[in-house]
Amino acid sequence: MNSSIVSFLSEMTNFEFTSLHAFIIFGIACFLMVNVSALIGGLGTYAERKISADLQMRQGPNRVGPFGILQFLADGVKLLLKEIIIPTQADKVLFLISPLLCLAGVFATLAVLPISSGLILTDLNIGILYVLGVSSLVGVGIFLGGYSSNSKWSMLGGMRGAAQIISYEVPVTLCIISIVLMAGGLSMTTLVNEQGGLPHQWYILHNPFAFIGFFVFFIGILAESNRAPFDLPEAESELVSGYHTEYSGMAFSFFALAEYIEVFVLCGISATLYLGGYKVPFELGSGELINSTLGGPEFIGKGIGQLLQLGAFFTKTFLLYYVVIWIRWTLPRLRVDQLVSLCWKYLTPISIINLIGIAAWEWIFKGQSIFNLIASLLHSSGGGGH
Amino acid sequence: MSSFNLDVYMPVLILIAFAVVMVVGVLVAGILIRPQNPEELKLSPYECGEEPVGPAWSNFNIRFYVTALVFIIFDVEGALMFPVAAVFQKFNKIGQGGVLFGTLFLFVAILVVGIVYCWKKGDLDWVRSYQVANDDTSKKEVN
Amino acid sequence: MFIDIMFILSALLTLGGAFGVVASKNIMHACIYLLGSLFGVAGLYATLGADFLAAMQLVVYAGGIIILMLFAIMLTGGHKEAVNKFGLDKIPSMGSVKTFLIGSFSSLIIGSVVLKIIASIINSHDGSGKLPEFSSSVEKIGTLLVTDHVLSFEISSVLLLGALVGAAVISRPRKQ
Repeated sequence: MNSSIVSFLSEMTNFEFTSLHAFIIFGIACFLMVNVSALIGGLGTYAERKISADLQMRQGPNRVGPFGILQFLADGVKLLLKEIIIPTQADKVLFLISPLLCLAGVFATLAVLPISSGLILTDLNIGILYVLGVSSLVGVGIFLGGYSSNSKWSMLGGMRGAAQIISYEVPVTLCIISIVLMAGGLSMTTLVNEQGGLPHQWYILHNPFAFIGFFVFFIGILAESNRAPFDLPEAESELVSGYHTEYSGMAFSFFALAEYIEVFVLCGISATLYLGGYKVPFELGSGELINSTLGGPEFIGKGIGQLLQLGAFFTKTFLLYYVVIWIRWTLPRLRVDQLVSLCWKYLTPISIINLIGIAAWEWIFKGQSIFNLIASLLHSSGGGGH
Repeated sequence: MSSFNLDVYMPVLILIAFAVVMVVGVLVAGILIRPQNPEELKLSPYECGEEPVGPAWSNFNIRFYVTALVFIIFDVEGALMFPVAAVFQKFNKIGQGGVLFGTLFLFVAILVVGIVYCWKKGDLDWVRSYQVANDDTSKKEVN
Repeated sequence: MFIDIMFILSALLTLGGAFGVVASKNIMHACIYLLGSLFGVAGLYATLGADFLAAMQLVVYAGGIIILMLFAIMLTGGHKEAVNKFGLDKIPSMGSVKTFLIGSFSSLIIGSVVLKIIASIINSHDGSGKLPEFSSSVEKIGTLLVTDHVLSFEISSVLLLGALVGAAVISRPRKQ
């Protein structure tokens, strides 16, 4: 019923897995997934510094490894060797639990990230709602990080962070509802499979409302992951470092790691919702075309298809990742009142109008995309001429 | 139940377990290699070099609380709209799309009334209500 | 096998969290125990196959209500002496240990008898006693919401409207 990495492997090898086998496979797959995402998070810090250096005509890190690419490992070793300072009067238990909450919330979202049709860890029926649910742990973690430090900067940053995350969840949720309405299902593979490989089959170009919706969603996830121009919880110029002012060493690095992985996951989810996810043009992902042209055993074609899907997913995700970093180093930070009015006076009304508009579009045009409509219009007018 | 297999929730538990193991493991194992030299000045909360004055926990603006309250209202709205949105295409295919559109439209329209009311009354403004709360006379100057 | 593990984990999390809420003297810690308890309840829902309910439990309770409670606690201004006056050590004033033992045993017996009767009624009524197909609980809820229960669906919107206006009104500064 539910596709997952186990059912995919079972299909590939024609072998019925028991629960214990499934557990072992899930364990290995989760281990790989966590490591890959941690690697992406680490490389994210490097990319951030390198791209910002590029935008500001600097060199950026260039000493450790070729082009400084191993900088994040050096940083990791340095952070590991740093003392963890817990301030006096801090709530010690909550102080150490809050990075855990952030990291657990982000790791749990990896379970439904559809990196390809076979390599999704588990395809829950409620996939996208599950993401919304577990990622709310990050907000609690940020708030507790601010509260437990017993520092005024941290407290302000934590309050702002939690308020910002829950405010921007409203337009993001409304955008997701409109996409669910188009796809007719909540699971990640349903959302992807209703789209096609070519850009005009993606939901972003399905109708004008969804096109606006993508930008609302993207602004929303920038705010959800506390990225500039919405980095008020950690605004350096006013709050020193915001909710993690008092954190040092590895305790700090967990917050940073969680933030970078969260940006990756959210970029992946926006690629899934609006940009066709792992879909490859001309149905190459299923591997049937490759098999029929190349011949050979079936699993080679399927394997190549999976690789192509991985490539499609990561290309889209990393492009969005680049845009996120680009925005950070281009736009100035918003004020608190601007942040609130942007959410409640612009994004929320726009996303409500989008939702109604998409429902009306699906009803009036029977779920056809704008390109289908234009094509059929041209076809019928051309046919009438002859 | 053969049609329902709980195995799909395994990765969720495993991933959360990985997060716990990672954090606890690194923090506990790190004791061996990281220095531990606490001193009074180092452990004081950072306040830009000044002596910290008073506790960090002070009365916060009620706007934060109201933001959370409004968020829950929209959350519940989303909770009710998700299942309807999920079946929209099914009904649309059998020609009942108009009925569902009407249902959804009415549902959203009632809430939009509330948003418009709050907007008109200035409750969506962060700054104005703050000024009014601070000083009642400044209200005339602002308007 | 796994269903048992998941049930036991969820139940332990629920009960442990609930115990922590009443036993903790620090109100902030109590709030975090409550978060754990709510996650456990979501796990129980998932164990029962109500996946949509589990997700909603996470989204609304773990995401919304907990943050609301944390903000409400922050509004109190954080007096260090303001500890939980209704902690576990205060419970004996409500009765002796004997009272608790008798009360919990009798509620256990009555509860199991009542649950047994209810279960037998449900099973005899349903005939097969089988649980419905779980794989698409979202779609079932959606179909019911727009067919049989469309009126309650729309009325709930009115309820939310009232809550929204109420939230706006209580946040306004009072005119002196």
